[in-house]
Amino acid sequence: MEPLPSDLMSFPAKYKMATALSINNLSFTYTSWTQKQLEPLFTDLSLELKEGSKTLLLAPFNKGKTTLAKIICGVCPKYFPGALSGEIQVFGKDLSTLEPWDLLSQCTYVAQNPQEQFVSTSVEEEVAFPLESMGMEVQEMRSRVNAAIQTWGLHDLRSSSEQELSGGERKRVLLAIMQAIDAPIWLLDEAFDDLDQKWRDQLKAMIQNEKKTVLVLASRYLEEFNDLFDSVLLLDEKKVLQASVSNVLSQFAHLCGDDLPNPLHHERCNIAQEKTLVCADLYAERVRVSTNTAAKFNLEIKDFSLKSGELVTLVGPNGSGKSTFSRLLCGLDAPLEGAISVDGKALVSKQLSKKVGYLFQSPDLQIFLPTVYEELAWSLQRNSNLKRKEIEQQVTECASLFSLDLSDTPTTMSYPQRKALQAAVYYLLDRPFYVLDELDSALTYQAALSIIARLRHKGAGILLITHDRQFAQMVTTRSYTIQDGRLQAV
Amino acid sequence: MTTNTFVAGTGWLYRFDPRAKLLLMVLMCVWFFLPVSLIELSTVVILVVLVGLYNAGWKLVVRTFLSILPMLIFMVIFSPFNVRTGSPLIQIKSFTLITEQGLEQALRLMSRFIGITYVCTLLFATTPMHEVMLALRWYRLPYRASLVVTLAFTYIPFISDSFSQISESHRLREADDETKKRFFTRLKDLLPTLTSALVVALRSIPNLAMSLELRGFGLENRRTSFHDLSSYPYTFTHFVVSCMIPLALWFGRSIF
Amino acid sequence: MQANRNALKVAVIAVLTAVVVVFTMIVRIPTAKGYLNLCDVAIMFIAFTFGPWSAFIAAGLGTALADLISGYAQWAPISFVVHGLEGLLVALIVMKKGDEPVSIFRKALAAVVCVATVSLGYFALSALFISTVSVAAAELPGNIAQSAVGFALGLAVSAAVKRAYPPVSSLAW
Repeated sequence: MEPLPSDLMSFPAKYKMATALSINNLSFTYTSWTQKQLEPLFTDLSLELKEGSKTLLLAPFNKGKTTLAKIICGVCPKYFPGALSGEIQVFGKDLSTLEPWDLLSQCTYVAQNPQEQFVSTSVEEEVAFPLESMGMEVQEMRSRVNAAIQTWGLHDLRSSSEQELSGGERKRVLLAIMQAIDAPIWLLDEAFDDLDQKWRDQLKAMIQNEKKTVLVLASRYLEEFNDLFDSVLLLDEKKVLQASVSNVLSQFAHLCGDDLPNPLHHERCNIAQEKTLVCADLYAERVRVSTNTAAKFNLEIKDFSLKSGELVTLVGPNGSGKSTFSRLLCGLDAPLEGAISVDGKALVSKQLSKKVGYLFQSPDLQIFLPTVYEELAWSLQRNSNLKRKEIEQQVTECASLFSLDLSDTPTTMSYPQRKALQAAVYYLLDRPFYVLDELDSALTYQAALSIIARLRHKGAGILLITHDRQFAQMVTTRSYTIQDGRLQAV
Repeated sequence: MTTNTFVAGTGWLYRFDPRAKLLLMVLMCVWFFLPVSLIELSTVVILVVLVGLYNAGWKLVVRTFLSILPMLIFMVIFSPFNVRTGSPLIQIKSFTLITEQGLEQALRLMSRFIGITYVCTLLFATTPMHEVMLALRWYRLPYRASLVVTLAFTYIPFISDSFSQISESHRLREADDETKKRFFTRLKDLLPTLTSALVVALRSIPNLAMSLELRGFGLENRRTSFHDLSSYPYTFTHFVVSCMIPLALWFGRSIF
Repeated sequence: MQANRNALKVAVIAVLTAVVVVFTMIVRIPTAKGYLNLCDVAIMFIAFTFGPWSAFIAAGLGTALADLISGYAQWAPISFVVHGLEGLLVALIVMKKGDEPVSIFRKALAAVVCVATVSLGYFALSALFISTVSVAAAELPGNIAQSAVGFALGLAVSAAVKRAYPPVSSLAW
């Protein structure tokens, strides 16, 4: 009789697939830095990943997706203090007996925000760093680094520093590192974010073909996920919910508030005085920081307009000139040619800044003061005409409109709350126009829409910048697209 | 903000082994303090500047000179007063303004200052920072110290970027009727900006610690190194040259 | 398992060093000795918040790197010693044993030490190695002004940061 083929010999083992990662009864609460008691993020959470399985774990924004990844890596609560209980095993080893560096060859974590994972001054050193730590032979290391850099199209950026890279390029560096380490478990936090289609396809193929245990954490369900995963789970009520894909998806949509009425529909906007912002024949240049592509980027805007009470979107990929345009609009930079006018009057820099409010993508760069009250009152106090009482009243009203607690410390508030605070600050400034930069990037559609609705309360004209077409379609009647610095009305 | 001090080039200084170059830099700095005559000192300084011109180009040489110009002017104004004795050069009635010795000392200080400046600048203009670090590692600088420097270089652009965005957003938040600000208000405005920049920087600390450990910082095995200095094959020769140059300048004085 | 936090020490020193570099390079009023800047604000913040070792290394290394980057490499060793010492001494003076606030007396002493270290340090070292007594003396007023303003602003900033970002206490070591 013929000997059995080797993969049939291992047949029983396939059915008893070893467990790569198991989490039992995990509970976690972050340490509170204020008087407030914090809610536990997980209670009795359990999860098991078989070796070689591909799992998608959906969780609404800010529900502990990233924290879970950090706990699995052993760096939380080590560096992100909190109370943890429960048991985690990686390939049968108890995590509490391991240090994060022991996991280097077991598990690679790709963070949602790639900036925080950079430790070297150039791309190739970044990829080599973990291999150096392992003490890998130099020959082997060089070939792995080169292969990973080639695969992720980073060859021209080898010696570039992190600061010179775009968001998508940074993500690719992290994926190259993941490939170079070649660990059996991959932990991907919003991995498809920021990536162009070509690289999304490549990552997808990699997840499909490599025999790794893969856990993808995501807060938005993408069409591409359809055939990629063995199972789709949902983080709900501080636990992991296991059900059929369609059930999980409908439950997830419910958690994100997608089935709630659109806040824009029943919100009224009271236009006190009709204003119009017009840009004509703007021309601006920007030198890309990167040393490799010395070519100048230029922006040309033939014609753009925004009226009070209007909600207009600007959609375009990374690096198409969205932020260059926003900076012109709010007067941070001046155009080389052309003019921006409000009601027919051409305005420059400071005058323009007082007409157009610009909400950065990151709220942390626009929040300064120790309490919500001080933050909101700051600009009002500088307005000499206002009395103390009036200020207090306005601040209180505004805080309740945006559901903020006046005594809270902004830096320890959750991301959606910080985003709301950022909007509240501008709401009080009462600018006639607002530019909202990637408002939806880490917020549920519902939360983003309600911020827009509140800002429109006093009839402001809003330009919403996004790269999410789906979101853009939800909100507007009028839209512009931008590609390679050329703006077009749709 | 750029942290780059390197100026691309192909001169012999670029092909000189960084380890030997470091030694040469230190020896030259010491040389400028040796008891030599003013003529000899300034000749060597001119030689150093010429080497800089040949290797790194006139732009760097001019830029460096402009950066120390205020200090040089300072020296011209103040240092001749220092020496009160000796044969007077300029006298106002019985009051000696400048003496010969005072002038000589001023010139000597300026030459020395120019010399040291160019020697240091040239090292960092002709050696990429990671090779400077590798050379220091070769001189037994602990790994952790070199890691701190590298990480600081990684974070400088991030922090300065955050800072400029924070100050911009501060500007955008001015109230409607604000116009010219007084000095005191300006200083007060600086406070929240600085605080906010510090908070952004501090928030990145746990992430950095996390990333270091996830990339294997803490493992006890010996680290290997992706980059090395093997592209400089003539280490020994260059070390010999590094020692010869200051010696030759010292003993060769009598020939000139 | 939580005992080994070496990575945190490295991260703290590295980020604080970068902070000192940035603060040194942001505001620049050119003077004879390079430029007037805000480095003392950052150094005071570190000394008040992170203790003597972090203050010594971050202050010394940060100012030295800033000199190096901006093309004043010849000043780097002097900056390292002077500002490192400034950070170390101030941190030692205001070091806390418990939760009690730092007394006015100690703050005043810290201010005097801060200003004295910077101005006298630069004076002595620059008179010795770079120039002479008269040149170094001419730099004194600028250095005194810079470090005094730096101290005052630094004191305010560290109080504000502690209020704005309470978790800062978990980072000190």
